[in-house]
Amino acid sequence: MKKTMSRSVISIILALAFLLGLGFLCVKYMIDADLWAAQSYNPYMVSGQGLANAGDILDRNGVVLATSEEGKRLYHENESTRKAMLHSVGDGSYNIATAAETAYRDKISGHSKIFGYGLPESLKGKHNLTLTLDSDVCTEVYEAFENRKGACFVYNYKTGEILTMVSTPTYDPLNIPENIEDGSYLNNCISSTYTPGSIFKIVTAAAGFEHIENYENKTFTCEGEKKIGSSKITCLEEHSTLDLKNAFAYSCNIAFGDSALLTGRENMQKTAENMGINKSFRIGEVYTAQGNFDVKKADDISLAWSGIGQYTDTVNPAQMAILCGAIAQGGETRLPHYVKGENSGKSGKLLSEEVAQNLNDLMRYTISDYYGDSMFEGLTVCAKTGTAEVGEDKLPNGWMIGYSIDEDAPLAFAVVVEEGDYGFYSAGPIARVAMLGCAESLRN
Amino acid sequence: MVQGMADIAIIGLRILLSFYAVFIVYHIFASMRRHKRPEKPLLMLYNRRFDIKIPVLFWENSIGRSKRSDIVIEDGTVSRNHCVLLRRKAGWFINDTGSKSGTKVNGKKTFGRTQVFIDDVITVGGTSLKLLRGEEYDEDIRPSWFFSKASRKPSVSSALLLILVNLFHLFMTAEICITTNSLNTNALLIFGAVTVFSWVIYAFSYGVFSRKNFELEALALWLTGLGSLLLVEQDMSDALVQVASAIMGAVLYMAMLMFIKNPDRVIKWRWAIMIAAVGFLAVNLIFGTIEYGAANRIYIGGISVQPSEIVKIAYIFVGAASLDYLQTRRNFLEFIIFSALCVGALALMGDFGTALIFFITFIVISITRSGDYKTVILALVGATFAVLLVLNFKPYIAERFSIWGHALDDPYNLGYQQAGTLTSIASGGLFGTGVGSGNLRYYGASETDLVFGIVSEEMGLIIAITIAIAICGLVFYARAMTTRSRSTFYSISATCAATLLLTQMCLNIFGCTDILPLTGVTLPFVSAGGSSMLSCWGLLAFIKAADERTYKAG
Repeated sequence: MKKTMSRSVISIILALAFLLGLGFLCVKYMIDADLWAAQSYNPYMVSGQGLANAGDILDRNGVVLATSEEGKRLYHENESTRKAMLHSVGDGSYNIATAAETAYRDKISGHSKIFGYGLPESLKGKHNLTLTLDSDVCTEVYEAFENRKGACFVYNYKTGEILTMVSTPTYDPLNIPENIEDGSYLNNCISSTYTPGSIFKIVTAAAGFEHIENYENKTFTCEGEKKIGSSKITCLEEHSTLDLKNAFAYSCNIAFGDSALLTGRENMQKTAENMGINKSFRIGEVYTAQGNFDVKKADDISLAWSGIGQYTDTVNPAQMAILCGAIAQGGETRLPHYVKGENSGKSGKLLSEEVAQNLNDLMRYTISDYYGDSMFEGLTVCAKTGTAEVGEDKLPNGWMIGYSIDEDAPLAFAVVVEEGDYGFYSAGPIARVAMLGCAESLRN
Repeated sequence: MVQGMADIAIIGLRILLSFYAVFIVYHIFASMRRHKRPEKPLLMLYNRRFDIKIPVLFWENSIGRSKRSDIVIEDGTVSRNHCVLLRRKAGWFINDTGSKSGTKVNGKKTFGRTQVFIDDVITVGGTSLKLLRGEEYDEDIRPSWFFSKASRKPSVSSALLLILVNLFHLFMTAEICITTNSLNTNALLIFGAVTVFSWVIYAFSYGVFSRKNFELEALALWLTGLGSLLLVEQDMSDALVQVASAIMGAVLYMAMLMFIKNPDRVIKWRWAIMIAAVGFLAVNLIFGTIEYGAANRIYIGGISVQPSEIVKIAYIFVGAASLDYLQTRRNFLEFIIFSALCVGALALMGDFGTALIFFITFIVISITRSGDYKTVILALVGATFAVLLVLNFKPYIAERFSIWGHALDDPYNLGYQQAGTLTSIASGGLFGTGVGSGNLRYYGASETDLVFGIVSEEMGLIIAITIAIAICGLVFYARAMTTRSRSTFYSISATCAATLLLTQMCLNIFGCTDILPLTGVTLPFVSAGGSSMLSCWGLLAFIKAADERTYKAG
């Protein structure tokens, strides 16, 4: 019988394996239970109108943006505010990926690993969520879009807190229209990519500083257009001879097409990738869309166009703001988040301190000597505008990205207006509203 | 304020119930561990030439030169597995198991089982051993770790254990009343039925069979009542079927205990059992109707029966045997063929979960009875090929497996059941949302395949895990009894029956929680299903039989 005893150890091995599996299940429960519970099909979460029993969502000043009363989900009283905050708050469904009601549903649903959803209403605490956004500024920004499509993203590059995140088209979560406009579910700040146009000259200039000797003292000649092979690149004006600073401020296409050609394919590709153009950045619980820069198989004319943000180049607004935040801080920035107390980590080194300083000088010059500091009263801003061609029958997209270097208002921004035409005239005023509003919000 | 107090009371009840479940299971196993054995060996063999006293500890003892024999004789003329000294109702017997030099009793060569008496001299090879009473052995015997807490008294009396179980069911009934906000007569009916049923079994066990220990029955009754009460709010007729099946199961349990009282009789019946089992599966294959993707049931007079559940019992019957039988017939080809027929039939029905249970049980039986790893490896290789073939020819099965490990990615289609289970487990937390209040019960086949999730959601993860640990504990109990059983037939069948239940539970729990592919098997004693309930009670009889006190000495 001893033999039977020793052979039957196989059953003990199986039993121990089972207990191990049970332990694994418990560990999985400890890690993932909130996620398992926060599924959109879970009847405990979805009853009545969406998140019927979920906690409040507040803005940075304690303004209630969403709340639940008697099994109904309610939103801010002002329609513009509701529309401005749609992509950061939600609409009671899970259609908008970046909305706090979707991305942070486990936090507001009142789920607990100990009691599950088993606590009676009287014993349940409210699980509120405070955003870092300023809903007043967002509302002003939304109104400044004047029904045009686009995105406006502003964050404090020292703390990572996003103050403004507005995406249009949008809709009213309290009166959801039957036919929702295409793209309304998308938060353009985080989830969309656009052709960058001239704002991409920041990347081209960075590549120049890295790979072309004595780049800061280089001069360029612009005759309005330049033949490359059998084709040509064109500029908006005939700039004749200009130095780098003015080529950047005047946004001369010929200068930066030349610059890209001088830098070369491999070096352009390397710099763009280091600066995170083809990367996706973490923003709290969500990730930015990846931009695109790929000149590995481009011919010369395409390489030149890629240097001025055309060709197949695309970027994402939040990503551009992150790049600006990195330039402001010598090459690295804290990644943005929009829920208080979150930490998205750091961007990693996007560019060297020296290149960041050089870019800072160019972007500062653009505002101080070209557009004028009166545009951002009370702030010291470095920026670049862009006007991106998107097709024959469409007006160009207008861009403005940049940052302020004020100690008490360290803000980086990116604004894009679809078919807005000149960046300075379309994105500029929105950037102004956003930056002044956010600065005031920080300074109070 | 009143509402607040009531809410606190409800939560309090749920937390209490969770720890109460742990308390019950603790006492069931604590009682098992107190089983006491005589401290003296059963017999003693005395080697007069070398003045060596050899204790005879077991009911069946292999004698031989092999180091792993129960009684090792270091004598070149003794075969490795020479003979078996075994105890039966009529007394002690010696059975030569094909030794080269033969076995003699008082100088006479023996053929087959030969009865021996105290003071007889058994000669194996060149060694003579005198049979003496166990009392004359004067060294201590070390008990196994499981029984290290042996004592004359159980940790709680059997009656008290049963009252603890009844009280648990009463609390569950109270919870159902709270959830449904009414005096739930259905729940009270089931509670009453289970309570009466449990005391009838108790009365039989004590009164008719004079058995003192009741832990296994208490565990089975606890789980049976728990499963039946869970069904009350889901489908009252299922709950009634569940209790009725448990009663039939208990009858089967008692009948089996009587049938296997004599392990040698079972050996004589094994061919009949094998043929009946294969026939039963063949009838299923011919007349089976497809439900939930597997044609594993037949209808007899309007009642749904799953033959494979009953065949599980037959399988254990056929797999186990007494020690002298095992030593005489080393090859177990007939068992391998029988296994292949069972697994093959189940695979043809599309019941891959049960096929896997049989296959793993086959491996455990093979190793336990023969230690023949070569056969096992061969079987594993064969099975791997078979699985690959099945996946190749039945792509819908591969599709079902494709969601394994990431059910939450497809919660509306392929991962529907697993995702629903995980979500329900998380929604229930550690203490549950209240019996009768859950959402998982609305899922298809949830009362069988996803019952672990239902328990988790409504009664909390602590109770669900406690149930799992309790069933798993049966394996440790069964194995600890290996050398205490009255025959290797009991020790092999107990260990393998417990492992079969464990395997089934493993597939059930890890299947619905997406740790293993979902195969759709039942959670022993808890899942709804008459055939499953019947087979669980039947398998429990094997574990009960392995306890030497189940059959009074004689």
